[in-house]
Amino acid sequence: MKKLLRHSLIIGCLILAPNIYAQVLIVHPQNTFSQLTRNNLRAIFAMRTPQWPNGEPIHVFVLEDNDPIHISFCKHLLEMLPYQLRRVWDRQVFSGTGIAPIAVKTEKEMLERIASTEGSIGYLLPENVDKSVKIIEEIL
Amino acid sequence: MILGCLKLVNRITLLDYKSSYSSFMKRLVLLFALTSPLIVFADEHNWLERIQVHGFASQGLIFTTDNNFYGDSEHGSAAMTELGLNASIQLSPKIRLAGQVISRNAGEMDNGSPHLDYALLDINLITSTKGRLGAYLGRIKNPLGLYNDTRDVAHTRQGIFTAQTIYFDKVRDLTISADGAQLYGEYFLPNGTLLVQGGVGYPIPDDNVEQVYLGQDHQGKLDGNELAIVGRIMYEHDGGRWILAASGATLDIDFEGTAADALGPFIPGIGYIPQLLGINSGTIGIDYTIFSAQYNSEKWQLTGELAYEDINFIDIGGLFSDADVKSYGYSLEANYKFTSKWETFIRREAFYLDKEDKYGKNFEAASKQLNNTYPFIPATPGHVRYSENWIMGMRWLISPNWMARAEYQVNKGATILSQAENDIANTTKDWDLFAISLSYRF
Repeated sequence: MKKLLRHSLIIGCLILAPNIYAQVLIVHPQNTFSQLTRNNLRAIFAMRTPQWPNGEPIHVFVLEDNDPIHISFCKHLLEMLPYQLRRVWDRQVFSGTGIAPIAVKTEKEMLERIASTEGSIGYLLPENVDKSVKIIEEIL
Repeated sequence: MILGCLKLVNRITLLDYKSSYSSFMKRLVLLFALTSPLIVFADEHNWLERIQVHGFASQGLIFTTDNNFYGDSEHGSAAMTELGLNASIQLSPKIRLAGQVISRNAGEMDNGSPHLDYALLDINLITSTKGRLGAYLGRIKNPLGLYNDTRDVAHTRQGIFTAQTIYFDKVRDLTISADGAQLYGEYFLPNGTLLVQGGVGYPIPDDNVEQVYLGQDHQGKLDGNELAIVGRIMYEHDGGRWILAASGATLDIDFEGTAADALGPFIPGIGYIPQLLGINSGTIGIDYTIFSAQYNSEKWQLTGELAYEDINFIDIGGLFSDADVKSYGYSLEANYKFTSKWETFIRREAFYLDKEDKYGKNFEAASKQLNNTYPFIPATPGHVRYSENWIMGMRWLISPNWMARAEYQVNKGATILSQAENDIANTTKDWDLFAISLSYRF
């Protein structure tokens, strides 16, 4: 009975909070920011915010377009359609008006690049995050 | 200093915009040489993070029942090859250098010789959590409609071709980029972004433009000596769910005719008729306005664009004496994504060269009358004055880099066709087109 209760509690949590297993936003360990608004986040990943408020250049890392983690990140954290983000990057890259983020192939590479690049930002599944990076907990 | 250099580069770029590959390379080297002192001030580490290189390649195969589009399409044409390579280098946190070289084989409209598509310095003036403000200097793509800036990149287009009634491939070079300066601003609103981009620049006319606006390639030349104004204001709501834009350009192209142009062609048995067939030096004024709206959802994408064009022929004389032509065109598209890999679309396009004479009835009557008096001037049918098309297509995103497309067009009218590829007076009014393409980008 106790087991059943615990299981239904876990299942209940999963249903009520589907984002619990979604991605977390990670930055370089020396990053001093602990919260970002959704619109700031969209602007950063659209490559429209070249610098952190302290003037340090932002380096944005993403997984490939068809990676389920990337798709889920766009939908749940950015609340944007992945193909819309791609449209924004393509327009910037092929018209010379801006750039695209740096695409990495694996979550392991994402972790390493975020940990080693000052001013970096990216995302991972929570179970793959370690102490080499800092998690941005709050998205307003 | 930078401004001075850019002016110089611009002047050089302007002088020989129809340059060969070697002089283009010289220009590129010059641009890098002029800006290289800036690199000294930049940080020395993380260089790989500062440089981005991207490119694209696309090959199309086109079949038409009648008329030629992108080569001899009546017999199947592979004359649609697009190649591009670009680089962006962050010289300092505030200054970025970017350039792109494009080669297009587009039947008789473009022979594939590489040209400088854009080469600019992007100077970031202000960045904050509320938005940013900056300037582009150099050769800059014109921000027109939703697609002009990246119209040569297959992956960014809606179909194998851009909507021809909004973005004419036959006069592409006039609207694609300009040599000058633009300001850009992005303002982050609570649930949207306002984007403004605009400035001045010297347009880049070519022989295609001359053929379209003056009927043929004359001895004299069209000059992009007068500054054009271009701008776009765009609002993206909720991360791009809704996109609204208004954009426009206003430009004057000077035609410097020769004595031979003023005399016109020699007609055997009649002689010269300069008052009718001669072309004098003068100006073609072009005003172009586009309104765009788009709705994006996971499965559906709905797009509508409406364009107005007002063309004034000043002092050119001949068949163009004081003509003021007001045109408009539109494109409406519904796109459905079955999966993230497969999508299909249907598009309705229309363009009317003279909105007072939409189907060219008056034009045809006048042309017939002219032909009666002067039999050597061919009678031109009214259908060359408009185009109405239905287009259906499929897209298969094989991988994030590879894409294949197929589309079928049912066309009525011939105004989207190029004079360079067709004897316009002998075009067929109803024609179908089938095309497939394979495209790569990185």
